[in-house]
Amino acid sequence: MTAFKKIEDNLRKEAKSLLESGKVTLVLAYAGGFDEKHPVPYVAKAAADADRLVFNEYCTHNMARYLTRYPKGTRIAVAVKGADSRAVVQLIQEGKVRRDDLVILGIPAAGMKNQKTGEIIDTRTTGSAINPVIHDILLGDEIHGVKAGSPYDVLAELEGMDKDARWAFWKKEFEKCIRCYACRKACPMCYCDPCFMDASRPRWADKSPTGDGTLMYHLTRFYHLAGRCIDCGECSRACPVDIPLYLFHKEVAKECEVMFGQAAGMNIEDKPAMANYKGEDSDQMLGS
Amino acid sequence: MSFDPKILGIACNWCTYTGADLAGTTRMKYPPNVRVIRVMCSSRINPSFIIRGFQLGADGVLVGGCHPGDCHYGTGNLYARRKLAITRKILDFAGMEPGRFRVEWISASEGNRFAEVVREFTEQVRTLGPQTKFKITKNGQ
Amino acid sequence: MLKKIAIDQFSELVKALLEQGLLYAPVKGTDGVNFRAIQNPADVTLDYYNTVLSPKAVFFPQSEDLIRYRIKKDTPEAQPVPLENRPAVILGVRPCDVRSFEIMDRHFLGAGVIDPYWKSKRDSTTVIGFAFDVNAAADPADFYNTFGYGAADPEGSDVFMIRADGNLLLRGMTDRGEKLLASLGCLQAGDARDEKAFDETVKKGKAVRTRSAEINDKEIAKKLVDIFDNGEFWQKVTMACIACGACTFVCPTCYCFDISDETLFKEGARKRFWDACTFTDFTLEASGHNPRPRIFQRYRQKVCHKYSYHVDKYGCISCVGCGRCIRSCPVNIDIFGIVVEAGKL
Repeated sequence: MTAFKKIEDNLRKEAKSLLESGKVTLVLAYAGGFDEKHPVPYVAKAAADADRLVFNEYCTHNMARYLTRYPKGTRIAVAVKGADSRAVVQLIQEGKVRRDDLVILGIPAAGMKNQKTGEIIDTRTTGSAINPVIHDILLGDEIHGVKAGSPYDVLAELEGMDKDARWAFWKKEFEKCIRCYACRKACPMCYCDPCFMDASRPRWADKSPTGDGTLMYHLTRFYHLAGRCIDCGECSRACPVDIPLYLFHKEVAKECEVMFGQAAGMNIEDKPAMANYKGEDSDQMLGS
Repeated sequence: MSFDPKILGIACNWCTYTGADLAGTTRMKYPPNVRVIRVMCSSRINPSFIIRGFQLGADGVLVGGCHPGDCHYGTGNLYARRKLAITRKILDFAGMEPGRFRVEWISASEGNRFAEVVREFTEQVRTLGPQTKFKITKNGQ
Repeated sequence: MLKKIAIDQFSELVKALLEQGLLYAPVKGTDGVNFRAIQNPADVTLDYYNTVLSPKAVFFPQSEDLIRYRIKKDTPEAQPVPLENRPAVILGVRPCDVRSFEIMDRHFLGAGVIDPYWKSKRDSTTVIGFAFDVNAAADPADFYNTFGYGAADPEGSDVFMIRADGNLLLRGMTDRGEKLLASLGCLQAGDARDEKAFDETVKKGKAVRTRSAEINDKEIAKKLVDIFDNGEFWQKVTMACIACGACTFVCPTCYCFDISDETLFKEGARKRFWDACTFTDFTLEASGHNPRPRIFQRYRQKVCHKYSYHVDKYGCISCVGCGRCIRSCPVNIDIFGIVVEAGKL
């Protein structure tokens, strides 16, 4: 059972101490929202701000997405759960953030809940990391012995479908898309400015929500996240029309792991899979 | 009348495209269904080209590059191999027929191999029939 | 007049409405409950709190062709798309959303230039409003009491529908609404008891509490302009915002759109489609300069537009307190909280 209150107390304590000592200029964590089930991502800048920090089972946001807003050299403490910490590692791998600029406040958490549905978030919609893969300070005790399947088990149904049924499934899901780009903006790895969708030359997809534009947007994003998606599930929780994007991202992540032998965001020393090649790569991967 | 597939071919300048030229100059017979776009290296290929190709009506997409180890730029095709592998996985998972997308390493001297691949792939796509899943129809698909 | 129909006969009502023309009604899908053009009466649901997306798309679709063209030998041959003037009914609109149509009318019809696309659909559509369940609590995100709205306000609808004791009671509120009710043979006349039940429900609806604050239009309009340069405040309240467009797209009173020519193989359309002031490139100019490059500037503009500039220009706040933006926001930004806090500065 995750001791949320204890983590919250530690979060406030550490944030206060880090800000007071000047070790960091910002603490990225959570504050209360309009009610308990709706906490809000929060940037604490002064020691007094630390009293506003909260942590409960609804603090699902991936705070790593805010790291790329700040110039390198900004000293930041960031509160991260398991998958969130992988995003931090991935951003370091990609050179978007420096390890030395960060104080990583790791939060081992099991039993996080989806704000919309109240369901427990488990490996079906997010990765299997319960404990942060990297931290400077742990805000709670590491959690061991939680029985969790593989984060790819949930793909069995789709993988088992024949391709026409699978296409029908995705076509129906993408028809719901209203091109709000909440998925893109919620993702810690979508930091490109401009995004390919903002380009007019070439015009990959028109702005109006035509089927082909929507398909191009999502398939390209799945491709852009290959070997980078750390399976936090934020894209899917952000989606106002509940498109299960996490299923596709997981499939691509699984294939990357199988074909390239590495998972995103696990080791700082890794080179991102799609920006690399290895001697072991073989033409086998080109077959279906 | 059997259906005549429209196949988008993307070939790297130094190997496959030259190989295709060789097939032509040595008067090899192969079907005219592949419309070739030349890129300098297979790593120039953005997977979005392939998706877009299908959206614009291609029934099949054939990518050709130098054999790994023989890239004119040294390592381009090694990156391309990973990119194209992921592209295949994405197309598969989306439900696109796997037989519509093919990657071949064809060197500049393999004119006959180019012809053979085009022959084979054209028949394969002909059997699969017109591509309708990604193809843009009027009023947006 | 007051008419009624038993709830288990609801599909008869839907069938009768379908016979008259287009019907938009709430449908439950994997995207929650949303208004859709109905084909099958069984698709319509009354089992929802409120839809995810607002009903504005019935009058202001997300994408609309304005001109269609073909390019023949380098010159385009273009035809404006004829305006829709089809009889339609939209069924199941909550009171706050009914009010949103009136607010949208102010800028689509009352701003000097009439938007013919909005007008033609608005003129030919009958609105059947639907009371919230007055025995249930309001969603915590809602704040429509702030604007004086109740959970069962019939004003603004052509017909207002209330669920009472296994029946649906429908009262004609306008001539158009009366005409519609008269044409529906499947409805029975309501009796004195039904009239009482209807009025009681409206009264009870006034007692349903949502979050609320004393917000005076003109005062908040002035206050927001006064604190425009308070960067500390604006950055603080917008720090979580990720600049997506979810709030704008679900909002019943957001109306910004972009226009673009979308062409493929020498054929295409000039379309208008929803845009969002929160998007990074909303104010991006052809020169490459962007007057609002930072998120706090864009969110500030959103709040100021809705609660300040709109008051000056159109005489009312451009918000109905439906709570959708808050529910759909990936980071739980609460516009009500921000406006209340701004008012206290």
